[in-house]
Amino acid sequence: MAGPTSGRSAENGGHKKRQGPGAFATAYLVIYNVIMTAGWLVIAVGLVRTYLAKGSYHNLYYSIERPLKFFQTGALLEIVHCAVGIVPSSVVLTAFQVMSRVFLTWAVTHSVREVQDEDSVLLFVVAWTITEIIRYSFYTFSLLNHLPYIIKWARYTLFIVLYPMGVAGELLTIYAALPYVKQTGLYSISLPNSYNFSFDYYTFLILVMVSYIPLFPQLYFHMLHQRRKVLYADRKKTE
Amino acid sequence: MDINSVVTEINRPRAQNDSPLSSRRATKASKKKPTKRATVYFEVEILDAKTREKLCFLDKVEPNATIAEIKNLFTKSHPEWYPARQSLRLDPKGRSLKDEDILQNLPVGTTATLYFRDLGAQISWVTVFLTEYAGPLVIYLLFYFRVPFIYGPKYDFITSRHSVVHLACICHSFHYIKRLLETLFVHRFSHGTMPLRNIFKNCMYYWGFAAWMAYYINHPLYTPPAYGDEQVKIAVIIFLFCQLGNFSIHIALRNLRPAGSKTRKIPFPTRNPFTWLFLLVSCPNYTYEVGSWIGFAIMTQCLPVALFSLVGFIQMTIWAKGKHRSYLKEFKDYPPLRSPIIPFIL
Repeated sequence: MAGPTSGRSAENGGHKKRQGPGAFATAYLVIYNVIMTAGWLVIAVGLVRTYLAKGSYHNLYYSIERPLKFFQTGALLEIVHCAVGIVPSSVVLTAFQVMSRVFLTWAVTHSVREVQDEDSVLLFVVAWTITEIIRYSFYTFSLLNHLPYIIKWARYTLFIVLYPMGVAGELLTIYAALPYVKQTGLYSISLPNSYNFSFDYYTFLILVMVSYIPLFPQLYFHMLHQRRKVLYADRKKTE
Repeated sequence: MDINSVVTEINRPRAQNDSPLSSRRATKASKKKPTKRATVYFEVEILDAKTREKLCFLDKVEPNATIAEIKNLFTKSHPEWYPARQSLRLDPKGRSLKDEDILQNLPVGTTATLYFRDLGAQISWVTVFLTEYAGPLVIYLLFYFRVPFIYGPKYDFITSRHSVVHLACICHSFHYIKRLLETLFVHRFSHGTMPLRNIFKNCMYYWGFAAWMAYYINHPLYTPPAYGDEQVKIAVIIFLFCQLGNFSIHIALRNLRPAGSKTRKIPFPTRNPFTWLFLLVSCPNYTYEVGSWIGFAIMTQCLPVALFSLVGFIQMTIWAKGKHRSYLKEFKDYPPLRSPIIPFIL
């Protein structure tokens, strides 16, 4: 049929978008992703070593606090990559995902010291660590055009457990922070002031927790859908 | 903010293909009808864009049938999808065809395959705008009169002691009343409907921001502007100037397009000096709109108002760039001096 094909080619001629990054950008992205993979591996190793040394899983956070902050903050560059266009994902979506984690790292866990002793911190730290090691190595190998099936499979499978685990950890941590935030009035601004603006961090945190209710299932089912698409397409190809 | 003109803008990039031309052709063709020779009829097959399921087969379609007519035929077999809900494309993931597009001018053989997508429930633009704008007007007044359960019983129905609060209320109400009246009497909408779910999104935006701003401006602990009356005076001048400018542009745009037509022209400055901004900018209505809100922010010295201005500015810049691009694409002789929203800069 002439119609559909000609329509498509005309459109592709109009937008020269999907060409992939240039050689320089690819090299940079490979380096970035290798560093990030390594960084999260450092965190993983740190967690395991401390656990073996102490024989207890409590308070593991302190052993990996610095690399966690550093590499999670480094993820902000991903937003830049999308904005510049060397990575074709949506800027808004990437920004939202990265910012929510940076928020949890700095504005909750770092800011509310009392929360750092909670086991819930470990819950999301472990979930993030495994997810990120797989995700960044997935990007690295994809950029090099040698993606082992096991990594692809892991990226689109492990989230089934890790994602709810991370979310549970995040929610429990925010919840644990609430009383301390209320007590100290952390990051809160009250009227009157010459900007005519007030901010209640306590309420804000509650709103953040509530926002998980519509967002979590949406993202989870989106990932399940992606999983079916990506892994099922592979099976079709090999047949 | 001012989505008004966006109605037309959003559809413009898609619209520009050949709508004026094809409508002319359509009238020619219909004139020919009496002296009809043996016409080659087209067959049109409509498939679901997602499932590729065959939804409808139309044989003996006139070659000069428009997409609008095909949509009407399609509705007969699927009454749940009224024409405004339908999007028909040549490619399942391609762009929607325009209602004015003519079957024989499309790159198809005598058997055309069209892909259908359901756009969801539709609602008219006028309804959307009225709800969007009536909301902030009412919500702001609730805060202004300090209706119970907002600031505590002590302050119920007590008016503010700062004169700027009353002035701000007048300006805010004036702005939204102006918009409502413009929606009813000035704007001409090139496209009749939009998806129903947009109304929720847009209302959240307008109503939410209005409540947030009104809460602080009318708060008993409100702090009046740092530079006192001087600041307020300058702000009112900026606000009024931009409101007049915005209104002038809307009138100029209205006069550009005769009632009921879909023709598009390049807007030029008229005798009204406010429209002279057209010399430098493609969408001066947005420039003035942003100016109004900056004026309002200076007047109230309220951070949420400044944020609302910023968000609105970003959104309007996106719209303005789209419209600017479509002007450049459509008119070879488009004035090169113009930039989308801010002269020489953006």
